[in-house]
Amino acid sequence: MATTMLLLPPGGWLHSSRHSTAAAVGGFGGRGCHHHHGPPALRSEGACLHGVQPPVSCALPPWARGRAMVMLQAGLCPGLTAEMIQLLKASGIRTVVDLISSDLEEVAQKCSLSYKALVAVRRVLLAQFSAFPINGVHLYEELKSSMAILSTGNKSLDTLLDSGLYTGEVMELMGAPGSGKTQVCLSIAASVSHSLKQNVLFIDSTGGFTASRLLQLVQFRTEEEEEQVEALQRIQVAHVFDIYKMLAALQELRHCMSQQVVCSGGPVKLLVVDSVSAVVCPLFGGRQSEGLALMMQLARELKTLAREFGLATVPTGIKVELDIGGYGALEERPVFMSAVVFSSKTNPIELVYYVGVLL
Amino acid sequence: MQRDLGSLPLAPALRARLVGAGFSTAQELLEVGPCELSKEIGISNEEALETLQVIRQECDSDAARMGGDPTSLRTCTALELLEQEQAQGFVVTFCSVLDDILGGGVQLTKITEICGAPGVGKTQLCMQLAVDVQIPECFGGLAGEAVYIDTEGSFMVERVADIATACVQHCQLIAEAHQEEDHHKALETFSLESILSHIYYFRCHDYTELLAQIYLLPDFLSEHSKVRLVAVDGIAFPFRHDFEDLSLRTRLLNGLAQQLISIANDHKLAVILTNQMTTRIGQSQSTLVPALGESWGHAATIRLILHWDNNQRLATLYKSPSQKESTVPYCITPHGFRDVQPPPPSQTPEGSEMNPRKRPRIEEDKQ
Repeated sequence: MATTMLLLPPGGWLHSSRHSTAAAVGGFGGRGCHHHHGPPALRSEGACLHGVQPPVSCALPPWARGRAMVMLQAGLCPGLTAEMIQLLKASGIRTVVDLISSDLEEVAQKCSLSYKALVAVRRVLLAQFSAFPINGVHLYEELKSSMAILSTGNKSLDTLLDSGLYTGEVMELMGAPGSGKTQVCLSIAASVSHSLKQNVLFIDSTGGFTASRLLQLVQFRTEEEEEQVEALQRIQVAHVFDIYKMLAALQELRHCMSQQVVCSGGPVKLLVVDSVSAVVCPLFGGRQSEGLALMMQLARELKTLAREFGLATVPTGIKVELDIGGYGALEERPVFMSAVVFSSKTNPIELVYYVGVLL
Repeated sequence: MQRDLGSLPLAPALRARLVGAGFSTAQELLEVGPCELSKEIGISNEEALETLQVIRQECDSDAARMGGDPTSLRTCTALELLEQEQAQGFVVTFCSVLDDILGGGVQLTKITEICGAPGVGKTQLCMQLAVDVQIPECFGGLAGEAVYIDTEGSFMVERVADIATACVQHCQLIAEAHQEEDHHKALETFSLESILSHIYYFRCHDYTELLAQIYLLPDFLSEHSKVRLVAVDGIAFPFRHDFEDLSLRTRLLNGLAQQLISIANDHKLAVILTNQMTTRIGQSQSTLVPALGESWGHAATIRLILHWDNNQRLATLYKSPSQKESTVPYCITPHGFRDVQPPPPSQTPEGSEMNPRKRPRIEEDKQ
C-alpha cells in the first residue's frame, strides 16, 4: 500500500515521494519507521475485502471470523464437541493455531481421539480461518472503484500530496510546537466539510480545537450563514485525553461503521486525530515497555479504519527534528510513517514562510 | 461490543498471561467466570475477580455510551462547541492589550503557559488571575474560585491582599458609575475576606508531591465545583533540579500535561502554568527558550512569553490555536497587572525627548 512521505529538511526544499518502498525508507537510516505490512494485517484484510467473503459457517460467531487466535469452543465447527475440547486442553492445545500447527497423529494418540475426526476438524478450521488470497488485478479494480481523493482546500498542499488526501491511507503531520499543525487540521476539516460536504470526525487530545477559529475558516469559504451552520454540523468532535479512551473511541467508530449506523446523516469520510503523540508520549520512557505495544495497537486501529472503511485519516505527531541521514542529532523519532514535516531547525521566521507557502 | 485485550487498562504481566492462554477480546473474558479464569491463567481468585470487574466496567461504560444516544462516541458537533465557547467567559487580566491578544482573556478549558525570565512578572500574573477569576458576573467576571499550587514558595499573601483590594475598589467605581441593583448586591459579597477565602492554596515541595496533588485534584474539584482556575506556579522547578533519568522526566511531564488538559476539559476551568527559561546554545548565537524541552512545548495549548526590552516588559503570544502572534507591553503597579500608561506630558519638562515606553526614574503616582 502506498504511503505518503513528505520531508522538509533544514535546507528548505519540500519534496514528496509517493509510493515509497522499503528501500527508500531504509535509506533514511532506518530511523524508527514502523512497518505495518506484515502477515497479521493481511489476515484481517483477507477476511474483509469488498465482495470477497471467505466461506463462513453459520455456527461461527461474527466476531471470531478472521481471528485465528480464537480459543477452541464447542460449536466452532461441526465435529468439535465439548469432550474433544476438554481432552485437547488437557494436552495443552487451546487455540485454533495450536490445533492446526500440531502433529495430528501425536495428538490422536495422547488424547485418545480418532485421527480421522481430527483431520476433518482441521480441514474445516483451515477453511474458516485462513487468509483469503486475492489476485492483484482484483485488488487494483477494487481500489479504482472504491478509492476517492479528498482535496484539502489548499492548492499547494494538494500538489504536494499528489492532488489530495487519498481515502484508505493514513497521512501524518509532524512539526514543532507552534508550527501550525492544528491550523492545517482545522483547515482540512473545514474544506472537506464545506466544499466536499462530507462528514468529518475530529478526535482532539490536546485541547487545541477552537470552534471559533473553525468558524473563521469556514467563513472565508462562504458568506452564507446556512452553509456555515451546515458545515459546522458535519464535523463531529470527540475529546479523549488518554490512550485507552482513544483506543475505545476508535474501536467504537469501527463498530459504528461496520454496522452502518448512520451518525447524523452520512458516514464519516475523514478522521483527524490531533494529536496521537499527546496520548502516546506518556507511555514512553522510564522502565515500562508497554508503550510501544500500545502505540502499535493505535497504529493498527488507524490503519484498519482507513483500509476497511475507506476513510482518510490524519493523525498529527509532535516529533521534532526529523533526521535525514545525518543532518544532526536526532532526539525523537517519527511515530508512524511520516507525511508532512514542518522542520523546527530553521529560524521561526523562515518557518512561518514555509507554512505560508503551504497555507 | 468487541474490545481488544490490548486496549484495556490491565497490567502487562497479566495481559501477557491472558494472551498466552488464548484470550483476545473482552467478550471472551466476560463469558468465563472468575474461578475458571484463575484456573486457566494461574492467578489467584481475587486477582481474577478484580480483572473481570475492570473489564466489565470498561465494557459497561462503552455500552452506556452506545445505548444512550445515537451518536455513540460522546461527540458533539462543531456547532454545539461553538455555542458553548461563545457562552463561556474569560478570565480577564486587567491589562486590556493583553486581553485583546489573548482573545478576551485567559480561556477556559485550555492550558495557558506563561514563560519568562526571573522577575518579569509570572507569579504576579498568576496572583492577579487568581483574584480576577472571582469577579462577579455582573462586572464581567466568572464568579469562580481558584486553586493555587505553589512549588517555588513565591506566593505572598500580602501582595494578593493588595491586588484584591485594588480589584474591589475598581468594581466599586464601576458600580457607582452605573448604579445598578445587581452591582450593589454583588459588591456585598465581594470583599477582601471573601476573595482570600476562595483561593485554595497548596504547597508542593518536590515533584512527587506535585504529581500527587494534580492526580488528586479531580476529587477536590468534585467537592468544590465553583473552581474556575487552577494555577501551578513553577511547573519547571521541581523537574529541573535533581532529576537523573531524563526519559522518566519526559514521561512524567507528558502524563501530567494530559491529566491537566483532562481536568480543564471535564470541569470547564482554565489551567495556568508558569515555566522558566533556559538558554539554547546554537552555532553562532544563543537564545532564551522555555525550559523543559521541546516535547513540553506541545503540552500547553496557549503559550505566552514574557520578556524585557530595555526596562519595558513585553508579553508575546507565541502559540495559540485561534489568535495571531503579537507582542504587547504591560506593566506591574502596586495595584497589580495593568496596561502601560503613557506618562502625562505636563509632568516631565523634557517630555518630547523621553521614550514613552521607558519607566520614569522618579517614582510618580500612576493612576
